[in-house]
Amino acid sequence: MSKSMRLLRFSLGQLLAGRRLVIVALLVALPLVVPAVFAAGADDIDPATFTLDLFRQLVLPVLLPVVALTFSTSSLGSELRDGTVTNLLLKPIPRPAVLGAKYLAAVVASLVVLLPAEAAGHVVAAGGLGSTDLLAGMLLATVVGTLAYAALGMLLSLFMARALLVGLAYALLWEGAVVSAAPSASSLSIRGYTEGVLAAVLRGGGVDLTTRLGPVSATVLATVVTLAALVLAVRRLERMDIP
Amino acid sequence: MSAPEGRSGSPPVVELQRFSKWYGDVVAVADLSFELRPGVTGLLGPNGAGKTTTLKAICGLLHPSQGEVLLFGRPIRNDPMLYRAIGVVPDGDRLYPRLTVRSYVRLHAELQGLADAGAAAERAIAEVDMQPLADRRLKGLSKGERQRTKVAGAIVHQPALLVLDEPMTGMDPGQRARFIELVRLIGSAGVTALVSSHILAEVERLASQILVLVSGRLAASGDYHAIRDLMADQPRTVMVKADDARLLAAGLIALPSTVAVEVDGDALRARTRSVDSFATALPRLARDQGATLREVRTTDESLEQVFRYLVGRR
Repeated sequence: MSKSMRLLRFSLGQLLAGRRLVIVALLVALPLVVPAVFAAGADDIDPATFTLDLFRQLVLPVLLPVVALTFSTSSLGSELRDGTVTNLLLKPIPRPAVLGAKYLAAVVASLVVLLPAEAAGHVVAAGGLGSTDLLAGMLLATVVGTLAYAALGMLLSLFMARALLVGLAYALLWEGAVVSAAPSASSLSIRGYTEGVLAAVLRGGGVDLTTRLGPVSATVLATVVTLAALVLAVRRLERMDIP
Repeated sequence: MSAPEGRSGSPPVVELQRFSKWYGDVVAVADLSFELRPGVTGLLGPNGAGKTTTLKAICGLLHPSQGEVLLFGRPIRNDPMLYRAIGVVPDGDRLYPRLTVRSYVRLHAELQGLADAGAAAERAIAEVDMQPLADRRLKGLSKGERQRTKVAGAIVHQPALLVLDEPMTGMDPGQRARFIELVRLIGSAGVTALVSSHILAEVERLASQILVLVSGRLAASGDYHAIRDLMADQPRTVMVKADDARLLAAGLIALPSTVAVEVDGDALRARTRSVDSFATALPRLARDQGATLREVRTTDESLEQVFRYLVGRR
């Protein structure tokens, strides 16, 4: 196993150590699965519409940013605060590789929690596999959103101790309030990118979802923001003094 | 233990060239230059003297504000492969509490890319006498045990340069003695070891060469005796216990080399510019005055006194 892979495995273990995985998974799954159970038992609710609404109103604005930012800000940031990061940086591993392993660990930890919960909610509501386009759209949007939020979280954690607070303020206040009031701000909204990706997949399945950003714009912006955050994070880690 | 290939002519293992580090208006280290070659070197200084800043710069954790830090003739910045040859025991705890001793040391071995990480970890654990606790979680260990675990992690890849920041913190006297023996052994094997401490008795037993940092500057460097020579023109203190110290004091104060004499019960403390002439005159004075000498010793032979002198001189 290469040093980077060992570092990735170790970092993932740190993020999901002990009962943390079970607790976080339950906290994410319950608000998705429990309503789905009630929706499945109701005759007047369309499962696909219900799942899509739940995804757009709960997963995209709350669960996805909270989970991805929590894991990403603690992946490297908490080790910088408590000093344990020196165990990793004083090794023959380039700092970009250390950051990459920490980033991937945060992404994988987030997806391990989010994807099964979303799939379970979808399957329960539909009473089966349901719309595969909807499921694919949700999962892909979640992956794109996780990549972007995690990159943002990594960057913030290298600049400030309260990175999670600032990240959540961005997700809940900027994306929730400001973007609603000023739609042009969508180009600076990860939530806007994920909705654009979701809309692109659903459009392929014949469902027309109205979003502020088109699929191409959303994908390009998500890629640019993710890469820019990671490049800045690498530069910061290479230049910063380690406490 | 191997060192990376350096420039021709075998450069020093560590070389600081006018290294300075400041944070805003606060100067942590100023204009520090020294070289280290194989063997054990002690880095002395009180808290806040700049020891940890210096060690962190050597390890590449801090970037110099000015000057240069070279390891094996190369700047460590942007050259992570140099860490193959460096083992570091940083300050503070810096351990993963959920890991066991064995898994922590093995993690270090694996991140160093060792072919047989398990065997290397077992060897390092044995070197610091932690085998009985190898399967214990780090959060349940004493401070001394955690320090020894950090040392095992630092030596697991048999580095050519070992940097230890206050490594004996929390160790009991027995552990300290074994640790000192281990570091001396490592130093005699050709490894360059730099050990910081503010407890001079420890460093005196560990290192033949010392660097003394005071207020971010190099106050002295060299071996113990060389530094002691710095004090050659300074008065030395001699403690004398006798059955009539007051009478003896009156005779001693008359000696031309005596600076001062303090009497405290049956003991006196004399400050003299010449220990040799003092030692010659004292028995004669005692005989002439009918005093019986019970104890005569100098009190400032330890590094502690050297250190206090250097600190006080600045």
